[in-house]
Amino acid sequence: MQIPTRTDAIAIARQRGDRIAGVLPIHYPRALLRAHGVQPIEIWAPPRQDPTAGNAQFQAYACAIVRHGAALLLDGPGRDVDLILVPHTCDALQGLGSVLLDFIKPRQPVLTLYHPRGRRQADRLFLERELRRLGDRLQAVTGRQPGDAELHAAIDTEEAANERLARLCLRQSPAALSDRERYTLVRSREYLPAETFITLVDARLPERQEEAGRPAHDGARRPVRLMLGGIVPEPMSVFDAINGMGAAVVADDLACGSRRLYKRTRGPDPYARLADSLMSGPPDPTLGSPIAERAEYLTTRMRESGARGLLVYDVKFCEPELFDLPQLRDRLSAERLPMLHVEFETATTIAQQTLNRIEAFVEMLQ
Amino acid sequence: MNLPAQLSYAVGYGLVGKAALWRQRRKDERAILARMRQPSGQLLAPPLLSSARMKELMSRHYLQARYATGVRKVAWVTSGAPVEILQALGFLLIYPENHAALCGARRKAVDMCVEAEHAGYSRDLCSYARTDIGTVISGKAPITRIPKPDLLLCCTNICQTVLYWYRVLAHHFKVPLIVIDTPFLFEEAQAHQIDFVKQQLEEAIPVAEQVAGRTLSFPTLKDVVHAGKRASELWLEVLNRAQHRPAPITAFDGFTNMGPIVDLRGEPETIRFYETLLAEVDRRIETGVGAVANERMRVLWDNLPIWYRMGWLSGLLAQRGVSIVASDYTYAWGELAPMMDPDRPIESAARVYLHPILNRSTGNKLHSMRRMAKDFQCDGVILHSDRSCKPYSLGQIAQRDWLANEVGVPAFLLEADHSDSRAFSEEQAGNRLEAFIELMEARG
Repeated sequence: MQIPTRTDAIAIARQRGDRIAGVLPIHYPRALLRAHGVQPIEIWAPPRQDPTAGNAQFQAYACAIVRHGAALLLDGPGRDVDLILVPHTCDALQGLGSVLLDFIKPRQPVLTLYHPRGRRQADRLFLERELRRLGDRLQAVTGRQPGDAELHAAIDTEEAANERLARLCLRQSPAALSDRERYTLVRSREYLPAETFITLVDARLPERQEEAGRPAHDGARRPVRLMLGGIVPEPMSVFDAINGMGAAVVADDLACGSRRLYKRTRGPDPYARLADSLMSGPPDPTLGSPIAERAEYLTTRMRESGARGLLVYDVKFCEPELFDLPQLRDRLSAERLPMLHVEFETATTIAQQTLNRIEAFVEMLQ
Repeated sequence: MNLPAQLSYAVGYGLVGKAALWRQRRKDERAILARMRQPSGQLLAPPLLSSARMKELMSRHYLQARYATGVRKVAWVTSGAPVEILQALGFLLIYPENHAALCGARRKAVDMCVEAEHAGYSRDLCSYARTDIGTVISGKAPITRIPKPDLLLCCTNICQTVLYWYRVLAHHFKVPLIVIDTPFLFEEAQAHQIDFVKQQLEEAIPVAEQVAGRTLSFPTLKDVVHAGKRASELWLEVLNRAQHRPAPITAFDGFTNMGPIVDLRGEPETIRFYETLLAEVDRRIETGVGAVANERMRVLWDNLPIWYRMGWLSGLLAQRGVSIVASDYTYAWGELAPMMDPDRPIESAARVYLHPILNRSTGNKLHSMRRMAKDFQCDGVILHSDRSCKPYSLGQIAQRDWLANEVGVPAFLLEADHSDSRAFSEEQAGNRLEAFIELMEARG
């Protein structure tokens, strides 16, 4: 079964009568959108998008997610979406959301979502009310007011898809899928309806097969097992490059991947469930998780997955990522888990300098 | 509290230090008065006499901090944080941003940034954060020794950067971190946003009380809020005096004299200082003294100052008769004064601390700039595109275009960084400023 492209997903959603939302990273309530008949299509620094239109609005020290994302919405296929959702993930996306609302004023409604930076009771309560506000805005845009039963059904479906995502991210056997295949599948969660994603994962990676696992590269040299961190791995050929160097990605701490492994929720109030779900993910710097908590999580994940090193592959100018790195490096180093941080500017190719650094890191781990 | 520390505090700060700083102020005042007596003909008016008092106040604060360990509980706080609760609990407040700005102004910031960069902190991070982290991890004291914190208070109403930065500090110092998360206002504040901030403030009280080892007195809190409100009102009055022609003060005077309103808001002596400053500015107005001798053009400044090139910039502009009469940055510590309510300290704080210019939309900032450009009769706007401050800077391209095309006020982006001089090219900036001045001149 082929993985549909974003274009396919949009066409199918349109046929279904759904609206299309262009959604910026990272955390948002997919189920709430789906219950309102809106198919989210996420926008993560598309490398093939000419950033000129974004560069005209934002300084060069804004990250590529903002500049490429803005260009896609202003001058690319994003022009055709029916609404735009900008979660307040960081100062840069705050700027994008605000400039869209106040200056660019696209024809589509621009909605925002503020995710609190903690996991206190006050944060949880605020998030629930913020989600209700978003629900009201979606109702105003779509004219639909889903009842509790519809919301619960949408949440159940998304949670089932989250479990498939966890299967992909947490139990990685290098033999089952190539890294690129696996992460192409992981990233299809960015735009496919949960139902399609579930079907795809079940077809590609039946639970039985994944649990059994198989030794990778029988007879050949075992690959160096890496954990991949960062916001988004672009271009996806980075996985081919890593494999070509004799390494394999066996775990991730990607914002577009494992950082969105939300847990199953229950309860009578769908908005409470949505809030609980969004607050149940792994530690994330954009959500204010303490560095010690992150370090503990990363160490545990690396031990569980057998990863021997952490490759942090970051889009340039990403402040939430950059601040944590020295202290994370110290902690991982104490656990004899080396870390390499490399930055990239979104493009269709990877700079040779970057590849050389990754290769040297892999060689060091061999 | 330990006895040697108290003794050291009493002698070093209370007895010797304060007296030495008082003598230094008198000396500074005499030097300023001597400059005032010199024949006119200078491009810039002499420094304000009050600046000697400001220097004494700030030096005294940092001197007190130097001896505070073991005597007073110390909290490190962000510049937009709701500090009244901590002040009422007797904390000595340290503002790492203010310390970093001082390092920038005295050209010590780059050394500290390099320390942070050597430890792995990217040069793309805020230079205030790098200056502070560099100071912490190197143990160096580029200006003065800063005491370690017992508590950290971070409010996200100026940027998310402070959240990441204070997480680093919390991890380093292993002390409690209170986060007051203020949802960004893309539009008008809504009830659930105000409730959220209020609830966090209420929950912060027992944490701060535990560290302070005492219980919050609400009458004291009301007094602190009252004093903060009065000082903010006075600060705003001082800044608004620049609406006169010629402007008696420039934004550079604002940058120089904002230390007390940031660091010592809520202290009675801060009120006295701004009363004195206001009286001095009024005397300038009465006697027709302009901060720039030959004021021909008036400009609004957007964003933080370029701390390490303030003298160069003010001199360059003064040569061409340009007075930077206002700044939306200095205004930020005054414009929320009307929202403060000493009788409802927590509720009003929730509203006040949601509304700084940096926690409001880019459209709101444009609105503020338009209003200020009108009120201060500005001929142009300089938008400092500050590499270190994304929330202030992202949106400036659209703001510049609107100011120039829709409002009809010339505006231009000046690329720099507030503290890291490596991100600034004097030659390039000078050329661009000259071109901008010519553009304003051409418009008459």
